[in-house]
Amino acid sequence: MLPDDAMDESVGKEEVSPVPVWIYEKRGQGVERTQWVIREKPVTLYVNGREIVTLLCAGHHLDELAAGFMHAEGFLEKPSDLEKLTVDEEAGKVEVTTRTDPVVAERLWMKRTITSGCGKGSLFYYSLDALLSKPVEGSLRISPGHVLARVEDLNHLSETYRRTHGVHNTVLATAEEVLLFRDDIGRHNAVDMIVGHVFLRGVSLEDKLLITTGRLTSEILIKAAKVRIPVLISRNTATTLAIELARSLNITLIGYVRGGKFTVYSGKERILDSGSDTAQGN
Amino acid sequence: MEGTGENKMAVYLDNAATTHPRPKAVYQAVLHALEEVGASPGRASHRLAREASAIVMRAREKIARLLDISGPNRVIFTKNATESINIALKGWLRPGDRVVISGMEHNSVVRPLRRLSESGVIVEIVPCSSSGQLDMSILRRSLDPPPRLVAITHASNVNGALQPVSEVAALCAERSVPLLLDGAQTAGVQPIFVEGWKLGMFACSGHKGLLGPPGVGILYIRPDLDVPALMEGGTGSRSEEAVQPQCCPDRYESGTPNLPGIAGLAAGVDFIFERGLDAIREHELKLAEILESGLAEMPGVKIYRPEARGTGAVSFTVDRLNPGDVGAILDETFDIAVRTGLHCAPLAHETLGALPEGTIRVSPGYATTREEVDYFLRSLETLLALRRRGDPKRDKKDRNA
Repeated sequence: MLPDDAMDESVGKEEVSPVPVWIYEKRGQGVERTQWVIREKPVTLYVNGREIVTLLCAGHHLDELAAGFMHAEGFLEKPSDLEKLTVDEEAGKVEVTTRTDPVVAERLWMKRTITSGCGKGSLFYYSLDALLSKPVEGSLRISPGHVLARVEDLNHLSETYRRTHGVHNTVLATAEEVLLFRDDIGRHNAVDMIVGHVFLRGVSLEDKLLITTGRLTSEILIKAAKVRIPVLISRNTATTLAIELARSLNITLIGYVRGGKFTVYSGKERILDSGSDTAQGN
Repeated sequence: MEGTGENKMAVYLDNAATTHPRPKAVYQAVLHALEEVGASPGRASHRLAREASAIVMRAREKIARLLDISGPNRVIFTKNATESINIALKGWLRPGDRVVISGMEHNSVVRPLRRLSESGVIVEIVPCSSSGQLDMSILRRSLDPPPRLVAITHASNVNGALQPVSEVAALCAERSVPLLLDGAQTAGVQPIFVEGWKLGMFACSGHKGLLGPPGVGILYIRPDLDVPALMEGGTGSRSEEAVQPQCCPDRYESGTPNLPGIAGLAAGVDFIFERGLDAIREHELKLAEILESGLAEMPGVKIYRPEARGTGAVSFTVDRLNPGDVGAILDETFDIAVRTGLHCAPLAHETLGALPEGTIRVSPGYATTREEVDYFLRSLETLLALRRRGDPKRDKKDRNA
């Protein structure tokens, strides 16, 4: 389980600003209004003094964002690898010091995998994704009722979304309850924050659901696979490559959760038959 | 290298594709032929042309000696083993003929036969075991009635599986069936007795085990087999006649020969004589044994071991990881060159159970060191350890360590 304050930590950290705007309709003059707009901020991640990437984000939960990103991308294998994590919000910098140099991740970072055309090629675009993504095991089972209920929970959670319509929301949940909520201008960032939160606390993801408001693309699917999340859910639809990867990586992919229905693209065996509202997990 | 506790080094383990690096003398011979000689062999009487002809003749003599061919003029130069095989198959087989091949053949045999099958050649594949060993009992049955030709690879380019050539050759000789042996992987590594085995035809490349540059292949055709050439043209002989000369090697060597390639090949064969065929073979087989032992220690790695090993080529796969990804990661992270995929031998992969993705092939050569093989094994283990992160079994093992 996550700490009791896991949900509370997520509240009120986003920075939103009132901005004067003009609203137009098909006919008529523009009407001036004030709208709340989410902050966008570049944050650069360093590993052992070397610059790795600059993320554009809402600027909150930067420790989780950095730890989650570093773990998902192979720079941090386990919590004990992390020696120090320093956030400088003002400068937009997060410095991570590791106990062993992440040589493989650094050398493969953003390197495309090159195939020869001699044999069936890889589904992956990046070599590092191929190395770190493994089929997700685990005996988690969930009922359709639980899927609908947890997505409904997500819909009620984001105050920032209601004010700005400018963030993607993500929750980590068990079948019975939402454990952690994060939002950000980038759906990847929100997922990284959740990954970072549980990584820093040594919590397993293999019996959890990840629910996002973003589309189910290959990138988000691969991120889930790299940290072993067995069930990925969205109100939105999935792409062909995400579905192909989900089938290959044994991930239950659920999309278009709306109006009391949803679509299962992959991993139907984790969905319990109707009538059962009891989740099973390992 | 930080991840493996030593500095990063460039390691070439793709010698089954082509040898690298080659002996220094090979580069020198190529340069000499181009820079100092430069003329076309067998085409003129001036000094440089005579010298060029002598280089080519000496190369034929050395190759004939290495492969047990009594007449150097029976050594035909082509551009590669594939061309040699195409000449043999397309020259010898006619519509209605039956040809027997093994389940471990390369596309250099499979694809020409596919083309020939469209014009009525019947292709019969003798299966091999899942380790690539030819089933001799089925082969025996396939020789009755005698086919027009048997064509087998000496050793697989995928996993180094060595076929019992002398036994196959004896069976073929008893029934007067010509045997075409594909020695692309074994020439320069395994003893080859072209005449001792009474081979009908023999084909190999010059740039693998024979250590020459790419661009030269070798073909032998037994004198009693009348095999038409695929090409006709200038040979520097009997030029007054419009008909292609029927003598060997002119019948098959139309156009200007690849003098630098042949000169380099001769230097490669010299190197084999100096070092010794047995020493080269033992070195490569020993490294293959170390590779197989090291790979066997790694969880999730499947090795495609042959029953009898003829070359250093070792093939393996990693559970649920595309071979192409493994090759790209080894290259990018550790500067290690291996071949991945089907190695132009889908039939062999079907036999070994490695379709459709193929394997990762590690092929040490004469120049590969023990240190390089160890570096490869440590590098692969580093990658697999990262891939195993978070595995419950591995975490438990790490805690107990």
